[in-house]
Amino acid sequence: MISTMQELPVTEQKRDLRSPIPLTQLTRGQKGRVRIEDTTEEVKLLRAMGLRPNSEVTMCRLGEPCIISLNGHCGDGCRLGLAKEIAGRVMVHVDQDTDQTKSE
Amino acid sequence: MSSVDSLPAVHSRTIAVLGNPNVGKTTLFNHIVGIRAKTSNFPGTTQEARHAHYDDSVLIDLPGVYSLDLDMSESVVCRQVLAGDLAPAGVEAHEPNAILVVIDATNLMRNLTIVAEAISKRLPMVVAVNMLDLAKRRGIHIDFDRLGECLGCSVIGCSGKTGEGVDDLMSAIRDAKIPDRSAPTDLDAIEAWGEDIYSLVASAKESPSNDRLTDRLDRTFTHPLLGVVSFAVIMTGLFWVIFKLAAIPMDLIDSYFGTFGGWVAGMLPEGPISGLLVDGIIAGIGGTIIFLPQIVLLFFLLAMLEGTGYLARAAFVIDRVLRPFGLSGHAFVPLLSSHACAIPGIMAARAVPDPKDRLATILVAPFMSCTARIPVYVLLTVILFPDSPAMQAAAFTSCYVIGVFAALLSSLLVRRTILKGASRPMAMELPNYRFPDLKAAALLTYDRGMAFLRKAGTLIVAVSIVLWWLGAYPNTPVIIEPTPETTQEQIDMMQASAQARNSFLGQIGGAIQPVFEPLGYDRKLTIGVLASFAAREVFVSTMAVQVVGSDDTEDESVLDSIANATRDDGSLLFTRATSWSLLVYYILAMLCLPTVVVTAKEAGGWRWAWLQLGWMTLLAYSGALIVYQSITLLS
Repeated sequence: MISTMQELPVTEQKRDLRSPIPLTQLTRGQKGRVRIEDTTEEVKLLRAMGLRPNSEVTMCRLGEPCIISLNGHCGDGCRLGLAKEIAGRVMVHVDQDTDQTKSE
Repeated sequence: MSSVDSLPAVHSRTIAVLGNPNVGKTTLFNHIVGIRAKTSNFPGTTQEARHAHYDDSVLIDLPGVYSLDLDMSESVVCRQVLAGDLAPAGVEAHEPNAILVVIDATNLMRNLTIVAEAISKRLPMVVAVNMLDLAKRRGIHIDFDRLGECLGCSVIGCSGKTGEGVDDLMSAIRDAKIPDRSAPTDLDAIEAWGEDIYSLVASAKESPSNDRLTDRLDRTFTHPLLGVVSFAVIMTGLFWVIFKLAAIPMDLIDSYFGTFGGWVAGMLPEGPISGLLVDGIIAGIGGTIIFLPQIVLLFFLLAMLEGTGYLARAAFVIDRVLRPFGLSGHAFVPLLSSHACAIPGIMAARAVPDPKDRLATILVAPFMSCTARIPVYVLLTVILFPDSPAMQAAAFTSCYVIGVFAALLSSLLVRRTILKGASRPMAMELPNYRFPDLKAAALLTYDRGMAFLRKAGTLIVAVSIVLWWLGAYPNTPVIIEPTPETTQEQIDMMQASAQARNSFLGQIGGAIQPVFEPLGYDRKLTIGVLASFAAREVFVSTMAVQVVGSDDTEDESVLDSIANATRDDGSLLFTRATSWSLLVYYILAMLCLPTVVVTAKEAGGWRWAWLQLGWMTLLAYSGALIVYQSITLLS
């Protein structure tokens, strides 16, 4: 019990310290939290399309275009197709949970 | 008394229908107003406006937007309409009396952005939570009363597809009031506000299902190889259906107008009135309407394909091909439509979001081989390869390929010079695959067909009348000395041929012929090329009139006599070099006055139309020159 309490903050810290990576570097099925701050025209459109800061996205297809899902699963719900050029400019924090599920 | 009554009395009560793309807004709109909607442009823009009378109000279907706060022309139009600065033609521009915000029940959080922006307009409003049927199937539950409390206005769950809740929605619109709550205006704050509301009102009974089929289809349709293959298969099928099915009504229209013209000619005494009616007006209208079946089929099938959700995927596939040439994937529908006719193609370029991308698309669209070129292609490929159907087919196909290549190269050039910059990379929602909305497709097709008839019809008819006049006058009698060997029929032909030479068009042809001399064209061909400005398909009948004095091209011997036509010096007119040169000219040249006019209108200036005309003529002339001179040199 105590050990988990001690461990939790470490993971939290680790997640926060991990530097964000471009969306295009996610692997298929991996989830990430969007880091988007600008207010350029392109970013405003992406945010209005649902790619809002701190929202969770799932990578469904890599390449040109890359396809991401905003609803946690590929296939269902809201999916966006992004040109590589745009996806490369969107930064994400890799979600630790999916990272671990993948490595298992 | 509702707050609506306190607004100043104006021409008519208007209700602006606002919402994201892909939320079923148009389906809901069609369900409410039926087939009464009128389609026009918002004045001074290329954005399409649909509006319809409902009870004592006018409903205006705004273009789908993700946010009002963007530079895209759709957002600008929505802002102007909501501010009362813009209204569809025929509706007085004033601040809307109510806003109907349509949102998607399956995508609630994202849709709250536009709701917040609408609330900030401080106009009476109602929120329609659409696609309720789909949300129920997915186990998504939304507390509408609570959402209404959060937003401070009526919230009605409905489905434009099944009609559920639409009556409640309409009575809510009648009693619409200004929201008694405010919403944030800053983007960060709007997002936080949306998340708070979402967590209060929405709950999914189960975790969202993982639809493997959609994911698989998506990955196939956007795959670098499979995507291109499926695209090619679908498009070939589409074209096959269009050409195959359209041939039946086209033949009917052709024979109907032929019979009708003959009937009118028989009813009226021979003379200028009969000539104007039969050769000018009836032939002109017939020549336009004959393309209607293809255009109607094309737009119907494209609307169906869009309804399935496939077109969004196809746009990405084609974007990979087009982007190196400075065109966006959005240009795909306009360029595809241009293979039927450049006019609806150029009009479809409105869907291209980036202004530079849109201009490039409009400029190169007429390079696509439209159906009006087909009769000319057929004539020339038959003359070139009289004994080999396989070679005819190959030459025919290469005509299309040459047109596409010319378009891509021209776009590349234009994006390196006057429209500098790369095309805008695509970010697009991939809507769910679904069964297409037949009613919406039929309504869209009707609108497009009528728009084509109105725009092209009036123009082509006007040009046909002018060309008929130029060809028919001055109508000085030509005296042919009858010799014992000539029959009356031959005398008539010779008279017609002499008349064609003497007419204004003949005189113009004679004067301009030296320009086309290096391409191997004589006076008759020059007239044929000039007459083609009305519509390219006129070429064959113009040649027939000049060669034999009869435009009955159904007769096999007439085609033969065109093929065996001679120049004034007696040598063969359609030599190998001349035929190839003419074919290249017809592929590349802008021989269509209506297209020039439509380009000027859609591109927003005559300079673009002149540029297009000048560039295409230059390319066609130099292409034909090179072909003619090199074939002449080699043989």
